[in-house]
Amino acid sequence: MSTMDCAGIREMIPEVASGRAGQAGAASVEAHAGSCEGCRAELALARLVYQSRPQAPAELADRIISTMRRDRRRLQRPWWGISAAAVAALALGIGITARPAADTLDLLDVEVALEDETELWLSDDGVLAGAPVFDALSDEALAELLDELQAIAPPGGQA
Amino acid sequence: MTDEAPGAGRIPDSDLVERGRTGDESALGALVRRYQDAAFRVAVSITKDDDTALDAVQEAFLKAFRALEGFRGDASFRTWLLTITANEARGALRKANRRRETALELVEPIASRGPDPAERAVLADESERARTALGKLPEKQRMSVTLRIEEGMSFREVGEVIGSSEGAARVNYFHGIRRLRELME
Repeated sequence: MSTMDCAGIREMIPEVASGRAGQAGAASVEAHAGSCEGCRAELALARLVYQSRPQAPAELADRIISTMRRDRRRLQRPWWGISAAAVAALALGIGITARPAADTLDLLDVEVALEDETELWLSDDGVLAGAPVFDALSDEALAELLDELQAIAPPGGQA
Repeated sequence: MTDEAPGAGRIPDSDLVERGRTGDESALGALVRRYQDAAFRVAVSITKDDDTALDAVQEAFLKAFRALEGFRGDASFRTWLLTITANEARGALRKANRRRETALELVEPIASRGPDPAERAVLADESERARTALGKLPEKQRMSVTLRIEEGMSFREVGEVIGSSEGAARVNYFHGIRRLRELME
């Protein structure tokens, strides 16, 4: 077997080892490897490398796609939506923490000028939630803002 | 196994990229599913750590999608994505190494130990031996072998991902294979 033959065969080994080579190419490599120890060993090694290639965990795609969605939502959100909502949430939080929980609904009506009372609701812990005038704000974004608000001004006014 | 073989009926990358540019999430999702394994292999080949590799892959996809508007198709989407992934993985590796150095400064040195019997049994497996040997190659040789055999890339494409010429990629590949054979003997 000439050196040139081996050089040509070794170029094709990755395709054969991974099953990407056509039938004719695979047959010529196999035939050569049958009588050439060096190329046979290299073909076996390449097959081993290919067969042992790592696979990404099944959940990786979902993780990337959900992060991508969050990322895109954040990029699409208008800047004034964030800042205005943040100001409103902060104002609401200060109002709530300054008053007993029983006054919360009255306070909301006065201070926040909600477009539609039917969009009001109370969360489990009595803290307000709702959809004030910022229609573009997602529930998730509002939840994030309220989390931040609680960190700044926790219920009970211990900010 | 999620590797998707190219073939008839497969939507071309260029179509998915074009749809992805207009915000078509299903097209972007298809690109993720198509290349997550290749990206993971590139990342793990650099970081040698699954968790660090996964973070690098996620960041690489997000960066690629954010920059999709500017992707002009001079390289294939796969080559472009894997180049971004390699860069992300190198950055993640640098950060991980810095954290490791800091951690080592804080703890008493411990005696190194060999693999336990269970680990030895796993390492005895031929596939594990191949992966272990591959991990001992210098980065460019390791990546050239990985990209050429596992991803079926041409030497020109391999060169683009590892930041070398086509000729250098070829040399790295054949040196890597030769060294791998020595390590496996």
